[in-house]
Formats: sequence, C-alpha cells, structure tokens
Amino acid sequence: MSATAQTEQEIEAGRQRLRLWVTSGPGLVWIMIFLLIPSAVLLGIAFFSADDYGAPVLPFSVQPFQQVAGYSLLGWDPGNITIFLRSLGQAGIATLVSAALSYPLVFFILSRPEALRPLLLLFIVLPSWTNQVVRTYAWLELLGPNAPVSWVAHLLHAVPPDLGLAPGSFAVTTGLAYNYLPYMIVPLYASAEKLDWTLVEAGRDLYASGVRLFWHAVFPQTLPGLLSGIIFVAIPAFGDYVVPQLLGGDKALMIGSLIANQFTETPDWPYGAALTIIMLVFTGMGLVGFRILTRKLGGAEEATI
Amino acid sequence: MIPRGVRYALSGISWPLYALLYTPLALVAYYSFAPAPNEAGHSLHAYNVLLHDGAAFTALRRSLILAIGSAITSTALGTLLGYGLCRFRSPNAKGVLAHLPSLIIYTPIIMPSLVFGISELIFFNLVHNATGFLSAGLETMIIAHITFQVPYVALTVYARLAGLDPYLFDAANDLYANGLKSFLYLIIPVVQPAIIGGFLLGITLSIDDFTISFFTAGPGSVTLPIYIYGAIARKGISPEINALGTLMIGTIITLALVHFFITRHRDRAGQFAARGNIT
Repeated sequence: MSATAQTEQEIEAGRQRLRLWVTSGPGLVWIMIFLLIPSAVLLGIAFFSADDYGAPVLPFSVQPFQQVAGYSLLGWDPGNITIFLRSLGQAGIATLVSAALSYPLVFFILSRPEALRPLLLLFIVLPSWTNQVVRTYAWLELLGPNAPVSWVAHLLHAVPPDLGLAPGSFAVTTGLAYNYLPYMIVPLYASAEKLDWTLVEAGRDLYASGVRLFWHAVFPQTLPGLLSGIIFVAIPAFGDYVVPQLLGGDKALMIGSLIANQFTETPDWPYGAALTIIMLVFTGMGLVGFRILTRKLGGAEEATI
Repeated sequence: MIPRGVRYALSGISWPLYALLYTPLALVAYYSFAPAPNEAGHSLHAYNVLLHDGAAFTALRRSLILAIGSAITSTALGTLLGYGLCRFRSPNAKGVLAHLPSLIIYTPIIMPSLVFGISELIFFNLVHNATGFLSAGLETMIIAHITFQVPYVALTVYARLAGLDPYLFDAANDLYANGLKSFLYLIIPVVQPAIIGGFLLGITLSIDDFTISFFTAGPGSVTLPIYIYGAIARKGISPEINALGTLMIGTIITLALVHFFITRHRDRAGQFAARGNIT
C-alpha cells in the first residue's frame, strides 16, 4: 500500500470518528453527566460519616456498612437481614408466579391466528403502560378490607375479619407479579415464537405423553426467553419502591422502602448509600449468575447495540 | 401444532387471566362513579368534584409539560445517538473504549429506578448547594426524564437502521449525497416511524414513571402521579382519586390502541419487534 493511500485511509478513519462523536456524543455525555456521575457520587457517599442532619461529612468511615449489617449503638439487630430476605423472597415468588402465568398465556397467543397475535400481546402489555401508582393502588381496592376477595379470604379463615389481604405480603407479591408480568411474557413469547415444532412432532410420533413432550421438546427451547424474563422481573421487583410502599404497610417493608427512608423521612445519606451498594451487589450477582447460566445453556444472544 | 384438548385448556386458563389483568383497573373505574355523600346509586359526582379541583389541573398541566418536553429532547438526542452508533462506529474496534457506548446506553435501562431517582436527588441537591442552579422542581424532573428516555429512543432508531439494506447508504454516496443530505433525505424519512415510535415511547415512559419523578420533584412541581400518591397517603382512596385514575387509564389505553391500529398497517412487524426488544 502506498504512503498516500495509507494517510488517506487514516484521514477517512478520523472523519468517521468525528462523525461518531458529533452524532452520538451529546446523548452519551448527557447520560454520563446526569446518571453515571450522580450514581458514582451516591456510591461514594457510603464511605462518609453522617452529621446530625444525615448529610455526609468527613472523616471516612465504615460505620454505614456496620449499620447495614445491623450493628448500632444499641447492639445487633436482625431487622435489616429480615428485610433483605423478605425482599428476596417477595421478588422470587413474584418471578415464579409471573413465569407460571406466562407459559399458558404465551402458548394461548401462539394457538390463535397469526393476525390476532399482536393484539393479544398488546392487551397483556397494556396495563403496564398505565401509571405505576394508579395500577398499584388499584389492587388496594381489589384486596382491601372491604373488597369481595377479602370476604372470601375471611370465610376461608385466611385473614382476620377486620383486615383485608392488603396491605401485607400477599398484596405485595401480587402487585409485583402484576407489574412485571409483561417483562416475562415478551421475551418468553419471542423465544416460543421461534419454536421448532418438528421436535414436538417427533416426540409425538414416539408416543411421548403431553407432559414429557412439554418438558423435553418445548421447555428447553423456551429456556432462553424464560431466563431473560426472570432477569427482567426479579431485578426490578427486588428493588421496587411503589408496590411495597402502597401495598405493603408496615409489616412488609422491603429494601426499596428502607433505602428511600434514609433520603426522605429520617435522613441518613451514608447509611442509605451503603444499603444501595449492598442491593446493587445482590442485583449484580444475580445478573452475572444468570448470564453465565444462559451462556451454558446455549441461550439466544439478545439484539445489542 | 398444539392439540385440540390443550388448546381448550389454554383458552380456559388464559381468558380468565386476561379478565384478571383488567379487574383492578375496572374496579378503579367502578368506584369512580360513587354517589355523592348521603345519596344512593351511581353518579358523576366525583368527576364534578375533580372538575373544580384546581390542584389536579395544575398537576395535569405539569405532567403534560414534563412528558412532552422530555420526550422532544430525548427524541432528538436519542435519534442522533442511535444513528451515529449504527453508521459511524468502526466494526473492528476492540477493547473497553469500543464497548463504552453500549455500557453507557444500558445503564439507565438496567439501573433500578429507585437508585436512579436517589442518585439524581443527591446530585441535584449537591449542585444546587454549590452553584445555586438546578433547584428541585420541574426542570430537574425534565432532566431526569430525558436521561431515562434517551436509551430507549436510541435503541428503537438503531433497531430500525440496523434492519436496513446497507447498500442503501452506498447508493446515496454514489449519487453524491453528502453526510447532511443523506441524513435529511434518506435517513430521516426511512427512520421516521422509529422516531415517532421513540417519541411516543418516551411519552409513555414519562407518564408511567413515579419513582424517579418522586425523588427529583420539588415542593412546587407536583405532577399527577405524585398528586395521587400524596392524596392516598394523606386520606386514603377517594372517589375523586378514582375518577382521576379512570381518566388516566382511559387516556393511555385509547392512545395505545390508536397507535397500534395506525402503525399496524404501515409497519407492524418492525414496531412490535422494536418494542419487544425494549420491554
């Protein structure tokens, strides 16, 4: 290659880089200034001490993390660990419920004529486009003390007469599953749509029972969608704020509300920031774990930028 | 493909599930027609009260300013971002720097909205204390809403561009269209459905959000969701709140259906694929 061709190529590459920065620069810089830097600041605050108003001050300290673990001037308290385990449990059950509901719904949609499918899918996603507060407090009306569902629960001796199913753990799990169901349905639908039905036919020719057909021919093929769905549901459900706040009451405090309290009602920024770090560590571990699992199982690569 | 018996079972499970999805929303509407105090039956009393509730209207106006203002800005930023990444990123770039744009774009999507909101709260608070600018209010809310919308718009536009025939760009080059010309006369028309889709998605995300709004709002910037949340926290659910909720649910469902049936003929597969990627 001649020297001039080489430099021409370099100039062209430089131009391309300039174009890249002019077009994508503003958006990227915006996100960096207004999200990456702020979240870095939030995480950094966890290593400061708190003044009387809960604002971060020097010196650096690990006290916020001791608080997270439950140590305070009054000794050790298991409250935070309970809240953490409860959040994990609520998010886990909500994820299971939404997965269990998604399978029949997805295959129901696939059993309908092709022209109808987008509309059927839309009607599942539609409730999640209404405002978070509205669609959450709506469950308060369905599960509250004077609602029909609570009468039934009362007749079955599941709840005391003057209390409804909401607020409480049951309402929180229901609310989380309702809020995040579309996040399970959409990826599951995407992988079920591409299902190779010849495998099912082959199984049927070999007289496999319905259960075995589903378990060995259908389920493995939908696994990539299911795993993405689990991530999309479990992560936001774990750190959700609105649902436990509106449907949980005092008994079903979750990590999200605990964090938020440190920045609103009883300010203690460093403690709140330390809680956030622990929550993000949990979230990150879940994400990485599932990524590895997906790759091991030969999961589909998502469309990435 | 699916045996008849299984199909019946699927229908038997699914139709009640569809009904269950809409039961809470329907209940909000039902309770909104509660009668006036000391009366029986159903009435539009709550809507009448709502009509004379100045605070609700102010909140509605703020919500609209927030949604439209943030969506316009994020559409501009996101369209350029998606376009730039699709067209000008060197395909053989390696290393951390090459992955940086993707990392930045996915952060707002992956980050739990509570962490998002609190980060913004602290950041705006510190900036305000240091410089006097950006006191918590509608402007900080708009900034935060732009931040979470940009990636979604960028991904929508990117998905559309990536699905195009790459020779289209070569053809434009061969016809001596320069960068600006090909952007104006080729890219914009071709990507237009994605830009409109991204804009509507931005509005939907903005209207849907509570958590991030809650933490970036100031005392003088109560939007509809914050208004409803505050009212419930203070005095529980009232028929007026149900009336307001009914109007919000009705509006968003109508808009979504209209959008669906308009785009259905033009670009059904593309629109749906784009949205599917995102949610």
